[in-house]
Amino acid sequence: MALRHRIGRKGVLLAAGVVLAVGSLVTYSYRAPARLQAGGGSFLRDGTAGFVVTDIAYALGPDTQDTPACPQGMSLDVSQIFAASPDGQQRPGEDDEAYTKRKEAGGKALSATADGRDYCTNPALAPVDTHARLLLDPRARAEGIDLDGKISRSPADARSGKLDFVGIDGTKGVDNQFWRAVGCNRSYQSRGQSNGFKIEMYSGSWGILIKLDGVDDLRNDDSIKVGLYANADPLQVSPTRNALEYATYAMDADKRFRAETTGRIRDGLLTTDPVDVRFHHVVNGMYLERPLRDARMQATLSPHGVLKGFLAGYSPVEAIYNYQFGFRDAKDAAGKPTLQRAVASANGAARVLGHTCPGMWQSLHRMADGHRDAKSGAFTSISTQYRIEARPAFVVDVLTHSKNDKLVRND
Amino acid sequence: MTSPDPTLPAALRRWSRLRRARFPVLAGGALVLLLALAGAQFMEPSEPEPVGGPPMMRRLTEAQYRAIIADIFGPQVPVTGRFEKAVRVGGMIAIGTGSAGISPFAIEQYDASAQGIAAAVMSPSRRNRYLTCGPSDVRRFDQPCATQFLNQNGRLLFRRALTPAETNKYVGLARRATGQLGNFHRGLELSLYTMLIAPDFLFRIEHAKPGLDGRPGELDAYSRASRIAFFLTGSTPDDALLRAAEQGELDRPGGVERQAERLMATPRYEQAVRSFFADMMQFDRFGDLSKDPAIYPAFNSDLAEDAQEQTLRTVVEHLVTKRGDYRDLFTTRDTFLTRSLGVVYRTPVPQRGEWVPATFAPSAHRAGIQSQVAFLSLHSHPGRTSPTLRGYAVRQIFLCQDVPDPPATVNFTAIEASAHRPNVTARDRIFQHATDASCAGCHKVMDPLGLTLENYDGLGTFRQRENGALIDTSGSLDGTDFDTTDGLANALHDHPETPRCVAERMYKAAVGRDITWNERYYLDWLIGRFAADDYRIPDLMRRIVTSAEFFATTRPVMPGTLVRADARTIAGDRL
Repeated sequence: MALRHRIGRKGVLLAAGVVLAVGSLVTYSYRAPARLQAGGGSFLRDGTAGFVVTDIAYALGPDTQDTPACPQGMSLDVSQIFAASPDGQQRPGEDDEAYTKRKEAGGKALSATADGRDYCTNPALAPVDTHARLLLDPRARAEGIDLDGKISRSPADARSGKLDFVGIDGTKGVDNQFWRAVGCNRSYQSRGQSNGFKIEMYSGSWGILIKLDGVDDLRNDDSIKVGLYANADPLQVSPTRNALEYATYAMDADKRFRAETTGRIRDGLLTTDPVDVRFHHVVNGMYLERPLRDARMQATLSPHGVLKGFLAGYSPVEAIYNYQFGFRDAKDAAGKPTLQRAVASANGAARVLGHTCPGMWQSLHRMADGHRDAKSGAFTSISTQYRIEARPAFVVDVLTHSKNDKLVRND
Repeated sequence: MTSPDPTLPAALRRWSRLRRARFPVLAGGALVLLLALAGAQFMEPSEPEPVGGPPMMRRLTEAQYRAIIADIFGPQVPVTGRFEKAVRVGGMIAIGTGSAGISPFAIEQYDASAQGIAAAVMSPSRRNRYLTCGPSDVRRFDQPCATQFLNQNGRLLFRRALTPAETNKYVGLARRATGQLGNFHRGLELSLYTMLIAPDFLFRIEHAKPGLDGRPGELDAYSRASRIAFFLTGSTPDDALLRAAEQGELDRPGGVERQAERLMATPRYEQAVRSFFADMMQFDRFGDLSKDPAIYPAFNSDLAEDAQEQTLRTVVEHLVTKRGDYRDLFTTRDTFLTRSLGVVYRTPVPQRGEWVPATFAPSAHRAGIQSQVAFLSLHSHPGRTSPTLRGYAVRQIFLCQDVPDPPATVNFTAIEASAHRPNVTARDRIFQHATDASCAGCHKVMDPLGLTLENYDGLGTFRQRENGALIDTSGSLDGTDFDTTDGLANALHDHPETPRCVAERMYKAAVGRDITWNERYYLDWLIGRFAADDYRIPDLMRRIVTSAEFFATTRPVMPGTLVRADARTIAGDRL
């Protein structure tokens, strides 16, 4: 009794707690490792099918260069704009090397304000780029799907440039204003360089996962859950750099890169309801984000689990300018802003790819057709279509990490 | 006898009465049981009289060489040389080491490795780990220090104490080199390098003591220590085992048992089990394995490594950790997976860069190590499966059955031409095997096994169709018919040759040679004990090590002589 008084009730509880804690530790230490239940079989298991995007590119249209679709020719870069000016003409006796240098310098002078503020970073400060060309031809065709359920083909639509395309496959009402904005740029032709952004996907910098849940019938199912996630793991590829099927990938832990919606399959065609999605994008060592508002997917699902079709929606204009042209919000691998690299990359890309930063910024705003701002009445997003192909994969929700994490963090 | 306490509940009172009443009966029963157990001890068949075999001179395998260097000097000391392709005899490299020669290329590589190891050990950043002494002026030679260092490391490298003549030789070499190079550590480095290219290091040279009264001889204590260590740890004897050899413990009753228990309780024992099964399953051939990336895009060097590791982890977990029945290795669904393997098995593996314990569902059609990627991919062609190669491998590796080599004139053209033709399966392609008399004799024992394994493609992914056609997986093994991979797994599990084969291989690997004619009785006894021990591999290995046969030698020797395995016989003393 005396002992119990000395220890007190708290002491007894504490001791009991210690005993329990030690006991549970001992129990834990003897617990056999949890075993994964490994299966096998087709890509659809228990109503769930996962996919990893193995091919993605902007869905554009037939080449326009040297066609009546771009009657004024293609957009010019700053060096070409300078060369077209009276000062930019080659002078008598000026050799080619010196002229090239002078054109580059002249172009560079056109790339910033008089007080040196870079136009790629501050496109709103720039004058109208009269050499930026738009694809306004009403006969032009484009790939993609109808996003808004309307077929805008009126003369007013034509005058405003917000004219729906007739799809290459005959689909009416295709909303693809991004193609109108870039259609007369040389780098967006079929052999152009701007549509090769999946290179970084194959080098493991980013990726996209798709997950279907509640699938009862692969051909016809009126109600399925659809997940669109950024991939937190690098794409697993073969020695010949082809994506492997049936690899396991973790969805991004950041909720901003996870989107879930509903959809349906009819005659093997998957159609999803609009949802805002966001993916990663990496270019030239710069880490960016690729958002798409009211995104929807329309893709056929083959018996072998190959999903092929369109992912389409509205890209916020400032965002698409940032990840595609200006890189203003780019970060390095450690998540720190990398403005200096962004300025150099944006100007370099514009020069090489045949556009100007302000020209693209202005074109995107002019062609914008989605999410009208209530106050200004201006559209804030531009319809954008991606051609995608996805193959069977296992999509899991676990925290994942790279063996090279320490290298990335410079530990 | 007192009555049960009336205060006890009725049930307890009844039990109390029963207990008292039955005590004499129970006591009698216990006595009978004890006597029965004692009788069982006496009734256990004893080991046949040892007959022995010749002592061996065996070249170190690459795995052993690397393990020895890591054990003596630490895993951070690099082994830079390349190792030539090992010779496999009787299905095992461990047996081939007893008949392998040494090429000029191998000598060059041993030399390169020795130089690298000696330089690393004597490098300024490392040498203090191995040297506890040294001269105050490195230009001077410190004989006691050099003697201590070279005797200590020489004993571990040569797996015996150096003779006085050897000590003088290596210390003298270090002294001369110190004088010429002006550096004590460089002098030691040269002596260490010389030891590392000595035959006494590169070869396990066994020494035998003659038997008396016409009885077989037996290995001397150091040679026993080596056999024990390489068999149970895959490496050189450690200091404790060498000390036991030097102090005669291995000759005293229970001495070998104690050392065996000690070594089997170390992590190195698992390594020895891994090495044995890697050798048995011919994993060294993965170095030459290639797959057509267009047909098997998931195959790469990482997958090849993971596949081997998967099977070895399965083996160790089942045989060592769980002390499981060896035969269950052919039916177990428990294994380990990585994400790379998950691609081939078409199963999700959530953790990235980690090994995950896994159990295959029955519907996954994965029972046994013969259904794992390592076995299936190794015994296939680069662009297609081969029922013949797989059937041959099952017979040869798991059942120790020999199948003659194919004739030199064999024509693969017809098979290759139709490898990917629509609606053609392997069974259609190898139809010729059954119809051509010159082929049928051998193929009828290989192909029926391999045809069941056609459920797996050339990499190991499960499939039910080939080139669009449904695969007919019916097959048979020595009278047992089946039409599923699970059926094959059960047939292998139940085949009488399955445990016999591993016991035989294990003994042969342990002694480094084929069995002698007279050892067949020992082998029968060993296999009988293996069965009595519920086919537990650790028990089998313990039986081998503690059996008299393990150390017995047959070479006729004159009394009073020691015999070296390299045939040089010197009366009275060791070389």
